[in-house]
Order: sequence, then structure tokens, then C-alpha cells
Amino acid sequence: MTTVAGIIMILGSLVALMAAAGLHKFATPYARFHAAGKASPVAFLITAVGAGLSLGLAGAGLLAVASAAMILTLPVGVHLMFRAVHRTTPPTLAIDDLVNAETRARALKR
Amino acid sequence: MTTIAIAIFVMAAIVATIRLLLGPGLAERIIALDVTLISFMGAVSVHAAHTDSTAYLALLVVLAIIGFTATVSAARFLQHEKKGETITTKSGATS
Repeated sequence: MTTVAGIIMILGSLVALMAAAGLHKFATPYARFHAAGKASPVAFLITAVGAGLSLGLAGAGLLAVASAAMILTLPVGVHLMFRAVHRTTPPTLAIDDLVNAETRARALKR
Repeated sequence: MTTIAIAIFVMAAIVATIRLLLGPGLAERIIALDVTLISFMGAVSVHAAHTDSTAYLALLVVLAIIGFTATVSAARFLQHEKKGETITTKSGATS
């Protein structure tokens, strides 16, 4: 069981390394947010599964609480960063579907 | 096994810190700091499995909440900056 848990934890750390490498591979801020915001919670989830297998029930409960907090909060934070970048930079995309939704929201607010 | 996992987590943190140091915009730096924090959280959980103690696991919940608060406050700050201020938002362009 310890060997299986160790292999799962190494897999999780490799996913974290991929998330960090994605910050360098992609060029635009949107693609970088995409790489970082999706790979890093998955990395923590896989690592938490491995550590929970190794620790037993008490540790697995605490790791489940931490994983739930991360899964609920981190996509919201990355989405807010994405929206802030979209609102503060001049438009560079060829097809920007978010512009229509933003103008509609601004018209509703008035 | 756990030593290798912690080493790979430290490598991921270092790679994300390089992006934090030379990333062109403020938003990319914040996301790179987030990736560094998550690598640290994974290393803490692997360390708990290595030492077989649950003492540091409550730290993970606190770190997740603090990381979310930091990201949200930075995003609000980035969004509400005035036109005249010189904060680089994307690839060196000042807004």
C-alpha cells in the first residue's frame, strides 16, 4: 500500500510540474491561466489521494476538507483574474465572444 | 518515494517562481504565485505522509482559503485601477 501511495504522490507532483511548465510554454495570459488553473488543483487532488491512502482515515478526512476548499475556490479566483485581464487590456483576440456578454451586462446595469 | 515527490514539487515551485520573476504582467505573476503555493501545499501533504503525522494537515485548509483571498483581492485591484496609473497589465504595455 505504501508503494502505491508513493507512486500516486509522484504522479501528482508530475502534474504540478506540468502546471508550472505550462506557465512557460504558452504565450498569452489566457492560455497561461488555463494551464495553471486547471492542472494545479488536479495535481493537489492526486497528491491528496496518495497521502490519504498512506495516512489512514483521520488524515484522509482533513485532506478531503482541504481538497474541497481548493476545488471550490481556485476556479473562481482564476476566473476573476481572467475577467480582470479581459477588462483592462485592449482587445487582441480575433473572435471574442465575451464582448457581447460584457456589453449586455453593462446595459442591464444602467 | 516521498522524497522523490517532494523533490519534484520543489522543482515545480522553482519553475513557477521563474515565471513569477520574469512574467511580463501583474496577472501572470499572481497566477505564478498561486502555482507556487499549490506546489507548497502538495509538498506539505507528502511530508505528512512521509512522517505519518496529521499535525500539519490543518495548514492546508488555511493555505487554500488564504490563496483564494489573495487572488480575488488582486483581481479586484487589477480591475479597478485608474487610467493614469502605470501598472503593467500585459506584455509591458502600461494602461
